[in-house]
Amino acid sequence: MFNRSRLFMTAAATALIAGTPLAAQTIDVAIIGEPDTFDPMISTKDVVSIVTQHFVETLYTFDESWSVVPLLAADMPEISDDGLTYVIPVREGVTFHDGSTMDSADVKASLDRWIEVASRGRSIAEQVESIEATGDFELTITLSEPYAPLMSLLAFSNSAAAIYPEETIAPEIETVIGTGPYMLEAHEPDQYTQLVRFEDYTQPTGAAERQQIPEEIRFVPVPDPNTRVEGLLSGQFDYADGLQTEAYDRIESSDTAEPVLLEPFGWPVFAVNHKQGIMTDLTIRQAVQAALPFDDMLFAAFGDEKFFQTEGALYPEGWTWRTDAGTELYNQNDQEKAASLLEEAGYDGEPLRILTSRQYEFHYQMAEVARMGLEMAGFTVEMDVVDWATLAQNRDNPELWDIYITHSPFLPEPALISSLFSSAREGWDNPEKNEILNRFTSEADPEARQEIFAELQQIVFEDVGLIKVGNFNALQGQSAGLEGVTPSPWPAFWNAQPAE
Amino acid sequence: MRKYLTQRLIGMLVVIFLVLTIAFILVRLAPGDPASLMLGPDATPEEVDDLRVRLGLDRPILVQYGTFLVNAMRGDLGSSLFFNMPVTEVLASRAEPSIFLALFSLLVALFIATPIGIWAAYRRGSVGDQMSVTSAMLAASVPSFLTGLIFQRYLATDLGWFPVSGYGGPDADFAERMRHLILPAITLGITNSALILRFTRASMLDILGEDYVRTARAKGMTERRVVLRHALKNAGIPIITVVGLTFALLVSGAVVTERVFNLPGLGNLVVNAVLRRDYPVIQGTLIVVAALYVLVNLVTDLLYLVVDKRVKY
Repeated sequence: MFNRSRLFMTAAATALIAGTPLAAQTIDVAIIGEPDTFDPMISTKDVVSIVTQHFVETLYTFDESWSVVPLLAADMPEISDDGLTYVIPVREGVTFHDGSTMDSADVKASLDRWIEVASRGRSIAEQVESIEATGDFELTITLSEPYAPLMSLLAFSNSAAAIYPEETIAPEIETVIGTGPYMLEAHEPDQYTQLVRFEDYTQPTGAAERQQIPEEIRFVPVPDPNTRVEGLLSGQFDYADGLQTEAYDRIESSDTAEPVLLEPFGWPVFAVNHKQGIMTDLTIRQAVQAALPFDDMLFAAFGDEKFFQTEGALYPEGWTWRTDAGTELYNQNDQEKAASLLEEAGYDGEPLRILTSRQYEFHYQMAEVARMGLEMAGFTVEMDVVDWATLAQNRDNPELWDIYITHSPFLPEPALISSLFSSAREGWDNPEKNEILNRFTSEADPEARQEIFAELQQIVFEDVGLIKVGNFNALQGQSAGLEGVTPSPWPAFWNAQPAE
Repeated sequence: MRKYLTQRLIGMLVVIFLVLTIAFILVRLAPGDPASLMLGPDATPEEVDDLRVRLGLDRPILVQYGTFLVNAMRGDLGSSLFFNMPVTEVLASRAEPSIFLALFSLLVALFIATPIGIWAAYRRGSVGDQMSVTSAMLAASVPSFLTGLIFQRYLATDLGWFPVSGYGGPDADFAERMRHLILPAITLGITNSALILRFTRASMLDILGEDYVRTARAKGMTERRVVLRHALKNAGIPIITVVGLTFALLVSGAVVTERVFNLPGLGNLVVNAVLRRDYPVIQGTLIVVAALYVLVNLVTDLLYLVVDKRVKY
């Protein structure tokens, strides 16, 4: 994955201290850890997306309102009336960082790899009949059945349909070469990833403009959240990701930095084991849903109402997908009802096993409060608190848990929510839900899709497919006066302009 | 002497072999799969299996152990699963910050502890002596992460005297990298000064009661000469022992301080490696640390020869 990077030495040893002339052209970003890979196809981690989107590009991307817009494609695709054929014009004159020019052969080879190795690509592999270069700068994707989320998948920077030069395509890519506005200059593991401006960058037209303002962008992995805050406040970093909400007031009152609140950022989820164990019983699932005190769980996890909203809808206010369908079953906080459901289910006291970790402290805090609510309803609860590595392994074994706790940012397309699919590790395989989901993914008309999504949300609550805890906000921070960074779970820095 | 050295070297190899075996077994007993960690939360079981095959984690554990031993004997500690880089290279890149941090903090500790220790022993029972012992206990009791956080917040963030974290960026030269070590070194130095202070004081106390010190005084030697030339030299053995072990401890065990100050040293590396289940790096670091301890012990024993002519091996 990584080659030993070369050290880039310049004379300006003091450049790291904010305020020196060079610092004005360099953006230092504190991220929560080291990216595991620079090949965004094979990882769904946010930290990988944040870094790699600067040097690797996709055919499409999202604009500020999460609409799909062309990036390496010259235009939106021509979609046949039956929704099976996508003819995508590819931009001419785009140069890769190795100096070669992109054509449709590169795009085809990359997408072929994407449906083979990327988890999001694999999710549509079955529907893809062929990917063909039908001209030097034209690509045709043929599907076996209509699949509306295709465009969002092609645009997403997470498990990305990244475009690489055809010659570099391999199951494992040694050196990642992209077309992005920045190039990988140096990488010192656990110290920094240094990106420099790509002078031959060809600007996309329209909403995807990347101004290439900073000369350099440096991503510094800083695992300790407190150190990220101190680094931001001292001026060592221009931007810091993943800050603890406790730091909000301190950042707000400082002269050097300002808080960036992503409101709302995402949703904590209690993932339900539909494959094995007591949660396969619908009445028990309904009892869990009835017993959980969502308000208290969110309060325990996030401390201040500034940082969460008690809301059951799968998408928050302001999103196309927003609907109230089914939400009357959210936040019942009714342990008596839960107790009678348990009686109806003939519950025999078998422990309900909640698998969680303290990697994200709010997971654990939510679990502790949930446990109290569940015990009041008559559940026997067993908490399995492990480190994240163990959780990541154990959740793949349906014998080991009934609920595990995770979280996700709000994704631009509901079909990206993997737990809705029966193939996911949760194994939610309700025929009625499957039918709705099929209709949802094959419908092309946006309004019709919204209506189907409401049905989908309804059944999430009725069948307790998964349990959304609420909305939570995420805190990032930037140096005072920094402009051009759009708040996002995956912030990009090509337009970033430090204060004079 | 030669026989002694041969014995010690053989013992060293045995210790390293044992550490290596125990490390191999322990890290594999721990649950958690590196492949699923590397691929992220949405990876399918098939993708995880594919990666496990590529990383060689699907092979029987005995085969993995055998390969590891044979390669280790050739000096090849394998490749980091996470960085796809030889472990020896990863370790080499992390040794510099750790060694310099250990050296600097040891200097800080010695600078604080030795004069106070000598003085306290000389003024045994006085208010100053009691105060120095109490402050040593206090310094040892405050955890280094707390000291580190306080220094970081007030000296680095508020006053801007030092960098908050890291080891300098791509432009940093040697001086700049060392500048990043000042605060962590003071943090660690203060914590470790307590032990050295108590050892210095105790062994000086022993020596100051010896007959030859009284004789020296009786001969009319100045107090300064008595303490510094006669007593301190003979109090050296326990001090050298504790300084040696403190050094080894600092190189390998500055985990918390390296974490707070985000230094890319061995301590930080091993914590990250455990969280990432990067088996070869965990094993590699443990071997290096074991070798370091054995080596420091050997050097300490050899230093006795220099300090005390009566010692013979």
